Amino acid sequence: MSGGPPRGLPSTGPHSLLDMPHPLAGSSSEEAVGGDSTPSPDLLTARSFGDKDLILPNGGTPAGTSSPASSSSLLNRLQLDDDIDGETRDLFVTVDDPKKHVCTMETYITYRITTKSTRVEFDLPEYSVRRRYQDFDWLRNKLEESQPTHLIPPLPEKFVVKGVVDRFSEEFVETRRKALDKFLKRITDHPVLSFNEHFNVFLTAKDLNAYKKQGMALLTRVGESVKHVTGGYKLRSRPLEFAAIGDYLDTFALKLGTIDRIAQRIIKEEIEYLVELREYGPVYSTWSALEGELSEPLEGVSACIGNCSTALEELTDDMTEDFLPVLREYILYSDSMKSVLKKRDQVQAEYEAKLEAVALRKEDRPKVPADVEKCQDRMECFNADLKADMERWQSNKRQDFRQLLMGMADKNIQYYEKCLMAWESIIPLLQEKQEAKQKTAWHLDFEVVWQLNYI
Amino acid sequence: MEQAPPDAPRQLQPAPLEPLGLPDAGRRRGREERRGPEEGPADGTMTENNFWLKKIEISVSEAEKRTGRNAMNMQETYTAYLIETRSVDHTDGQSVLTDSLWRRYSEFELLRNYLLVYYPHVVVPPLPEKRAEFVWHKLSADNMDPDFVERRRIGLENFLLRVASHPILCRDKIFYLFLTQEGNWKETVNETGFQLKADSRLKALNATFRVKNPDKRFTELKHYSDELQSVISHLLRVRARVADRLYGVYKVHGNYGRVFSEWSAIEKEMGDGLQSAGHHMDVYASSIDDILEDEEHYADQLKEYLFYAEALRAVCRKHELMQYDLEMAAQDLASKKQQCEELATGTVRTFSLKGMTTKLFGQETPEQREARIKVLEEQINEGEQQLKSKNLEGREFVKNAWADIERFKEQKNHDLKEALISYAVMQISMCKKGIQVWTNAKECFSKM
Repeated sequence: MSGGPPRGLPSTGPHSLLDMPHPLAGSSSEEAVGGDSTPSPDLLTARSFGDKDLILPNGGTPAGTSSPASSSSLLNRLQLDDDIDGETRDLFVTVDDPKKHVCTMETYITYRITTKSTRVEFDLPEYSVRRRYQDFDWLRNKLEESQPTHLIPPLPEKFVVKGVVDRFSEEFVETRRKALDKFLKRITDHPVLSFNEHFNVFLTAKDLNAYKKQGMALLTRVGESVKHVTGGYKLRSRPLEFAAIGDYLDTFALKLGTIDRIAQRIIKEEIEYLVELREYGPVYSTWSALEGELSEPLEGVSACIGNCSTALEELTDDMTEDFLPVLREYILYSDSMKSVLKKRDQVQAEYEAKLEAVALRKEDRPKVPADVEKCQDRMECFNADLKADMERWQSNKRQDFRQLLMGMADKNIQYYEKCLMAWESIIPLLQEKQEAKQKTAWHLDFEVVWQLNYI
Repeated sequence: MEQAPPDAPRQLQPAPLEPLGLPDAGRRRGREERRGPEEGPADGTMTENNFWLKKIEISVSEAEKRTGRNAMNMQETYTAYLIETRSVDHTDGQSVLTDSLWRRYSEFELLRNYLLVYYPHVVVPPLPEKRAEFVWHKLSADNMDPDFVERRRIGLENFLLRVASHPILCRDKIFYLFLTQEGNWKETVNETGFQLKADSRLKALNATFRVKNPDKRFTELKHYSDELQSVISHLLRVRARVADRLYGVYKVHGNYGRVFSEWSAIEKEMGDGLQSAGHHMDVYASSIDDILEDEEHYADQLKEYLFYAEALRAVCRKHELMQYDLEMAAQDLASKKQQCEELATGTVRTFSLKGMTTKLFGQETPEQREARIKVLEEQINEGEQQLKSKNLEGREFVKNAWADIERFKEQKNHDLKEALISYAVMQISMCKKGIQVWTNAKECFSKM
């Protein structure tokens, strides 16, 4: 890794957004080592490192985006990633403000995408556009096409399968919004994907549809070549690490599936419990109407059960909206990862086949033909990208699940705390008149007994 | 005859068993079950004999399965319960076992039926249910099921304690013999001939429909009993369903334990956290068994008052019967008086068979008429005496019954409030356990 500041990212480097002057502010970009705004292409070239091609900034270059051919630059990028924490990030994307659009042909929801960035790839520091699910779907497909060696985050499910779920209900829209936000954030965090041109256009273009119609003008070399792999090759031997990843993903998806089923079952049981509670509480009220002294205590118990019912409803809603979707997302994630692994296998298989073919054609020895070399490159690239993405994925997965499961525990704790509060608050109400009545009862008894026997 | 104070042979003289102290808490697995406040300040003012002021402790301490031959000489299996009576020394609180015998459920029933006949003005404590009702799926409806037997044992003990702490019932001799005389008790009870003295159901039903002027309080009380029975039944039914569902929620969480364990096997850093969290999920799932077992005792407390509703109705029925009897007697007297008057004055205002036959077959002689008047006058006299005593009886009944009803109301309010408090305490404990488990799990997740 080059020792020079800014460490190789073909952008303004890891600076805080706050101390960046506006790109159009016109200040000289030469001086500040760390304080550069929009560096000129010359400067950048001067700062570029590594032997191979590098991504040139300022969109429009044929290379388009990511995937440097060398693994060393990729490694550098990885190390960069570790340095990028909240403070030094230079790209922020948020999804919010869902709105319903009613047109003659259809009704749909759009979300506002807000982008803040100091990267040179962005002409403006801030963008705000509206996108609908279709657009996200398009983006994902584009990413898969153009970055086949990388793991693309999953989208929330396209179609609503379960029952009669209202596509326009607040809960559904909110759940989807969160998932879409997560999707974009994962791309934002990815050192390669975040520089993808389609991603950029998605975030910035006023009219996305026009761009879509342009067609797939820009594809990376790698992308193209991988696309053309017909997949008819048989893999000799899978490197251990990828085999291990494959096995892991299989078991992982299986376990997640089980957890999803368990979680759904729990919610179902809780809802049925809730139904009974909603009948249970009011019976105490009915009873309360019959009684005199017991009236208040019984009414208190009824209200208490009502509060617990409400708390339970909140719990089930939360679990449905926050827990299940994330689980499902990860299942989708592992599925898409499996297909990327398959593609990698194909690339390796093609290389091996070509290599073998060369070995048989004695004449070309010892020189290795160019196209075989290219294959090798492709394979090594793929392997490197995938490995890097897997590590990132593992680390994110750990964080995501820690958060998810802690969240689940939290929600249950909150539920019990609400119930606890409700029950504790009626204890004084129930105990209140006990002491006072105690003496009277005995007194009464005594009198009664006396009366009965001695009159 | 069906009136308090009962005849001398029925009551122990001079003094009864004292109302008791609280049952041994240890015998109930640490659960506190208070009994009514009737243990009252039994000072020397109660009786002239301080000698009898020993406290008695009664407990149904064991249950045993037995086989024997029934009345039709067929083999049957039943459960027998051991009743132990201890007398507690006033001074040092030491208890000495004085009596111990075995009884089965049917003998309890016999005792209660006897008490119902001889103390109709008393709200007689109910027995625990004969068959398990209001069960939720895990509970067994089998009478031989150990949990059911255990809860019944507690219920029977409760019954005996209620009777023993009732100011009137506790003095009954048959009750005393029930606790002390194992053999021959059944014969002794039957010898009282109480079954014959019981009011016929038909008679009671008839009275309920035809009575014109029952005391309004009893009518209201009857209405209240009906409503109480209905609402507690409903409550118990729904509670059983709630218990069922709650059981399901907890148990499904147990599955997390297994899957987390399996998942942890393929994880490196996440493994430990997942594994230990899974353990907590198992703990959570198994905690429900104890929780629901405790709740069954709450249900039992409610059930007692569900059955008490019937006891209340019995007292109301008795009043209606007596009142109807009174009304019929008064009516009869009035008609006799009228007959007498008519005979004396010669006017016939009302239809009478005698009058008809007289018309058809000729007047009767003055002597005959005199004789008839005399008979009637005697009857009227008798009738008036009877009416007077019936009236007195009726009023006495109302007074005594109402006094016991007031006592019962206080007991009910106290007991049910205690039950509600203990229910709330159970819920609080359940919530705290839940918080504990999930906090532990959260801790494990944070270490993932």
